[in-house]
Amino acid sequence: MFFHIVLERNMQLHPRYFGRNLRDNLVSKLMKDVEGTCSGRHGFVVAITGIENIGKGLIRDGTGFVTFPVKYQCVVFRPFKGEILEAVVTMVNKMGFFAEAGPVQIFVSNHLIPDDMEFQSGDMPNYTTSDGSVKIQKDSEVRLKIIGTRVDATEIFCIGTIKDDFLGVINDPATA
Amino acid sequence: MSLVTDSPVHSSSSDDFAAFLDAELDSKSSDSSPNEEGAKGEFDSDSSDSSTNEEAENDSDTENQRIKRSRVEKLENIEDPKRSTSNGSLEQNLGASSSKDACIHPGSFGDMCILCGQKLNEETGVTFGYIHKGLRLGNDEIMRLRNTDVKNLLCHKKLYLVLDLDHTLLNSTQLMHMTLEEEYLKSQIDSLQDVSNGSLFMLDFMHMMTKLRPFVRTFLKEASQMFEMYIYTMGDRAYALEMAKLLDPRREYFNARVISRDDGTQRNQKGLDIVLGQESAVLILDDTETAWTKHKDNLILMERYHFFASSCHQFGFNCKSLSELKSDESDSDGALASVLKVLRKIHHMFFDELVDNLDGRDVRQVLKTVRKDVLKGCKIVFSRVFPTQFQAENHHLWKMAEQLGATCSRELDPSVTHVVSQEAGTEKSRWALKNKKFLVHPRWIEAANYLWQRQPEENFCVNQPKNQ
Ligand SMILES: [Zn+2]
Repeated sequence: MFFHIVLERNMQLHPRYFGRNLRDNLVSKLMKDVEGTCSGRHGFVVAITGIENIGKGLIRDGTGFVTFPVKYQCVVFRPFKGEILEAVVTMVNKMGFFAEAGPVQIFVSNHLIPDDMEFQSGDMPNYTTSDGSVKIQKDSEVRLKIIGTRVDATEIFCIGTIKDDFLGVINDPATA
Repeated sequence: MSLVTDSPVHSSSSDDFAAFLDAELDSKSSDSSPNEEGAKGEFDSDSSDSSTNEEAENDSDTENQRIKRSRVEKLENIEDPKRSTSNGSLEQNLGASSSKDACIHPGSFGDMCILCGQKLNEETGVTFGYIHKGLRLGNDEIMRLRNTDVKNLLCHKKLYLVLDLDHTLLNSTQLMHMTLEEEYLKSQIDSLQDVSNGSLFMLDFMHMMTKLRPFVRTFLKEASQMFEMYIYTMGDRAYALEMAKLLDPRREYFNARVISRDDGTQRNQKGLDIVLGQESAVLILDDTETAWTKHKDNLILMERYHFFASSCHQFGFNCKSLSELKSDESDSDGALASVLKVLRKIHHMFFDELVDNLDGRDVRQVLKTVRKDVLKGCKIVFSRVFPTQFQAENHHLWKMAEQLGATCSRELDPSVTHVVSQEAGTEKSRWALKNKKFLVHPRWIEAANYLWQRQPEENFCVNQPKNQ
């Protein structure tokens, strides 16, 4: 799920960046530091969309560095337990399959793949229904439900299932 | 120094917001509660005011839990009327939590159970990092996967084959260890753009040069028809993946089945515990017997492929290397070609000759049988091969000869066919010459062992002493 939220961060800046472009320098450093990172609470920061407020700078003793509290708006992405997500399959094997939705790594174990889908090995391993009508393989797009999430500093792991109504393949690269 | 103060400050309202959503989605997923609409309204209306938000969260949380618990109780009563009363009441008391505890947590991904999604604190089971980062499987799950997989594989008339890299499928050297006589190789390297036809590669970024063993491309192609193949190397992960790219540029053979030393569960040992194949259906090709102490019966020992000088020196040979001699192993008649024949034979026997149930067959038995055919009918007497006082039956050559199907004896008699010795002057050697028996060097047995075929005895003559 995407959210537009306000976050705050203390930014430390070297005195050489002071002057007319101070604000621009602060913002570009903020983007570099924050975009593409994860936090356990908020998830993956996709983009900074605006600056709410830059507080008064505080000079650090002995260094000349100045710390500014910056409040900024940003779009974050965080999967939730129970959420339905669309993801692209990256690897299929006898244990199940792995899929990706942006920075999120999802594993769907073969326990949570419908029983009528069977694993087929070969150069293009896949799970296929007995009548061959539905096939999950690398690059397939699937709709799955998240049953567990874990957000690390740099990665987001999820456990997913497709063993429920309206879940499974939504776009098969083989027939596209 | 700058890190100390450069820390994010989270606004409390969004923290609560995330927690609220977590609770909300979680409970919604397990039951579509009637007050779903109401809860949604609450959460839409305030994300700015944290105090009311918190209240709402607590409220809806307890509310949902109450509903959930009553539902679980109901469900259990309906589903399991036969359950003993004491057990049933216990379940009821524990309510919703006990139904979650029932999961056996067969494995984990990112420290979450792959079945119920619950966070797991203990690290249990075996790490399968070579398949995907963060994946672990418990022993029961490994067993379950092996059982279903082996059935599937046998139906497709395939077995498992675990392949070592260095000295088995290829030979690598550090660029800095190359000798002057090997310098010419640098002008003969194949392009890394399309590796599918090359055999000599310079990997500058790894400071290495790699030579693929002759026949390896044909070998992999043919073997892939009969086996699901794994790479298993004592090299590190980065090296293993680079080599896999050279051997399998189109990713037809190994998929993600590339295991490196970083993945093993024991130091300096290779184990089938992280290979998802039933041991009774696995064959291993490796040049190092000691790496497989627990799986000797699965192992087909390979003659080492030393192409580069550094590789020869590493193993204590002071002769010129193949590279220095500008030579190479035979393509059509080398180690990989002969082992492919053996693999075909084993595959054929396993699927086409055995009569018992597929499940009951064991490739290790087939391997033994095929091996016993190599020197069948030979009766061997050793002369001055073992140190005096050495228990002959324990010597590796004696054992090897027996595994190859020969009979070993200490005494000479007319039924003896071969005398194995390093000298022609010994009493037994002279007896062999006089009685028109074969007199061969010990290497004759080793060659038969590597090539899986009785070798022409005249190629393994024993030097005649000069005074004769
Ligand atoms: Zn579980």
